[in-house]
Amino acid sequence: MDFDFSDDQEQLRDAVRKWVDKGYDFERRRAIVAAGGFDRAAYAELAELGLTGLYVSEDNGGMGMGPTEAMVTMEELGRGIVLEPLSQTLITSATLQTHAPAALQAAWLPRMASGEAIVVLAHQERAARYQLNRCTAQASESGGAWTVTGTKSVVAVGDQADAFVVPAMANGQLALFLVERSANGVSTQAYVTQDGSRAAEVVLSKAQAQLITLNGLVALEEAVDIGIASVCAEAVGVMDKTLAITVDYLNTRKQFGVVIASFQALRHRVSDMKMQLELARSMSYYATLKLHAPAEERRRAMARAKYQLGVSMRFIGQQAVQLHGGIAVTDEYIVSHYFKKLTQLDMTFGDTLHQLGEVSARMQETAGVFA
Amino acid sequence: MDLAFTPEELAFRDEVRTWVKANLPTELSTKVHNAMRLTRDDMQSWAKILGKKGWLGYGWPKQFGGPGWTAIQKHLFEEECALAGAPRIIPFGPVMVAPVIMAFGNAEQQQRFLPGIASGEVWWSQGYSEPGSGSDLASLKTRAERQGDKYIVNGQKTWTTLGQYGEWIFCLVRTSTEGKPQTGISFLLIDMKSPGITVRPIKLLDGECEVNEVWFDNVEVPAENLIGEENKGWNYAKHLLAHERTNIADVNRAKRELERLKRIAKAEGVYDDLRFRDEIAKLEVDVVALEMLVLRVLSAEKSGKNSLDIAGLLKIKGSEIQQRYTELMMQAAGPFALPYIFEAMEAGWQGNFPGGTLANAPLAANYFNMRKTTIYGGSNEVQRNIVAQTVLG
Repeated sequence: MDFDFSDDQEQLRDAVRKWVDKGYDFERRRAIVAAGGFDRAAYAELAELGLTGLYVSEDNGGMGMGPTEAMVTMEELGRGIVLEPLSQTLITSATLQTHAPAALQAAWLPRMASGEAIVVLAHQERAARYQLNRCTAQASESGGAWTVTGTKSVVAVGDQADAFVVPAMANGQLALFLVERSANGVSTQAYVTQDGSRAAEVVLSKAQAQLITLNGLVALEEAVDIGIASVCAEAVGVMDKTLAITVDYLNTRKQFGVVIASFQALRHRVSDMKMQLELARSMSYYATLKLHAPAEERRRAMARAKYQLGVSMRFIGQQAVQLHGGIAVTDEYIVSHYFKKLTQLDMTFGDTLHQLGEVSARMQETAGVFA
Repeated sequence: MDLAFTPEELAFRDEVRTWVKANLPTELSTKVHNAMRLTRDDMQSWAKILGKKGWLGYGWPKQFGGPGWTAIQKHLFEEECALAGAPRIIPFGPVMVAPVIMAFGNAEQQQRFLPGIASGEVWWSQGYSEPGSGSDLASLKTRAERQGDKYIVNGQKTWTTLGQYGEWIFCLVRTSTEGKPQTGISFLLIDMKSPGITVRPIKLLDGECEVNEVWFDNVEVPAENLIGEENKGWNYAKHLLAHERTNIADVNRAKRELERLKRIAKAEGVYDDLRFRDEIAKLEVDVVALEMLVLRVLSAEKSGKNSLDIAGLLKIKGSEIQQRYTELMMQAAGPFALPYIFEAMEAGWQGNFPGGTLANAPLAANYFNMRKTTIYGGSNEVQRNIVAQTVLG
């Protein structure tokens, strides 16, 4: 039982925080949003810090780190509401490293670690919502070569990524494939999402694909669970900063001749925000530390964590807006962007209601952290 | 970062588990698991069993005869006791007054009072709240006037939990009206058999007499019963609160009661009703999150790093959870929680409870009783003030 960070982990946190503070200020972010929501140069800076290779083994040019380092990193990126999707890189690099054939690993992992290649998860379909076992995309094999046909929605940086990790049905069984964006039969339609980041619809029409694993549902659940832990950590950073901004504002803004932080009605809301933040931080730790648990225990833990994070994100986002007053509903002021980020993170990898259903379905007789 | 307990901690937990299993009488655990009424003897017999083992003062350092456990060992001990269905340790002696006597009492007081607390022989009560002093405790008025080698105490305390059984009471009394209210308070130990003390039980909304009014009418208290210095009592009481951090969340009991809630929901046929089941699921997440919060505090205590000033959060969340599980148990039983048969909460009652399930008998009473949790120990609104102070300055 130990929730302290090692010196190395603290140094990693400092390095990422320094980059966010100095290299990714609000003006730069605003310019990136205006330019479409993704900046390859900013992503390259994450790579220079080694973060794109965080999960990649040292043999493949990465840092070979674990979930706690990923959590620390994502918290700090969340603090700066960074648009570039490092969590996608964490997900796909871990998935390839665990499930892909050696040749596929060798072809992609070193380039992912260096930041040269971006690979994202393209799993969402219109009819599936958050259900991972529902998939209409079809894969077929001919002479040892696979093609995939289907449409994947809201794929992070879909028109910029170099390849996609794609679930598709192969002979009635969910399998995972790697599809290069440059392959024949791949088309994308890009847009910005509510938080200012970039996504795309990805249409695959007999697109050339390489098999990652036929045991696709197991791999996809693992991938999404890495995504959930990552989003939880990112959300903690976003919420931490949201509360800090709100506290600063309350201690500065005057009405009726006094700072509004003196009003008890507002102070109690701040106390409730702090409660939600610490519950969320606790459950983010829980998610990270359960990532390597057996599948059933891990899935239950992720559902519990993401449910709590969803509740906390909505509460802290909404309260931050309310406590600021009118300024918070302007595009110019920073807090509205934090609010939108929190809203989007709740709907990433399963929203509050979906996760409550998962917790409910997975309940056992006993309860607790170790149950 | 590591969620697992160390092998030593796990071995410790096994040792405690084995001992509790062998020494906790089944009649007691049956009562606790079914929320039946506990008598004074029930509570004290478990205290004496623990006392004999040297575990009643489970938070005590070795120099005062305690086991000298770490914060995590204390937590594991509490967890094993709670999950096994042991009666709650009545905290006033071993958990509340004893640490004050250790920290601020003189050697004579330590020798005189600590053994009786450690063994569970002497029942202690707490004399803090007054009719006019609830959340604003420092406004208390019970007066202690020094006359030679004794104090003369006059006034009234209230909400004295289980004070009808009390043999000694530790009181905050006013010894000065000068300066700030906090600076005129002293910490006095009073023999409840002293002439001039009257204890009157207060019947509560659940029909039980859990708390009391205690009157002091010219009660003579030897000056040697003063802890520390006169007018410094407020500091000692604050010290006590600072040492009562994680156990206020009562997360281990919440885990046990969540299991009981699931049993009741199954028996009443609502466990598979998704609308009801989702409410249990929400509570389950709350309990896990609270447990993680508690574990974070314990880890910080163990390492001395990342200290967490979140006692207020633990109190707020813990009390809300206690209220919620009692509420859901009552709702699970629905109309069969409504019959109010006082004797049906007694172990061994032979009557017929309406609907045929005796497990439903205490559910409404438990729900009513638990409303206290967001009020006592500093109301949750006071806790929010404290939390806001740490965040906003």
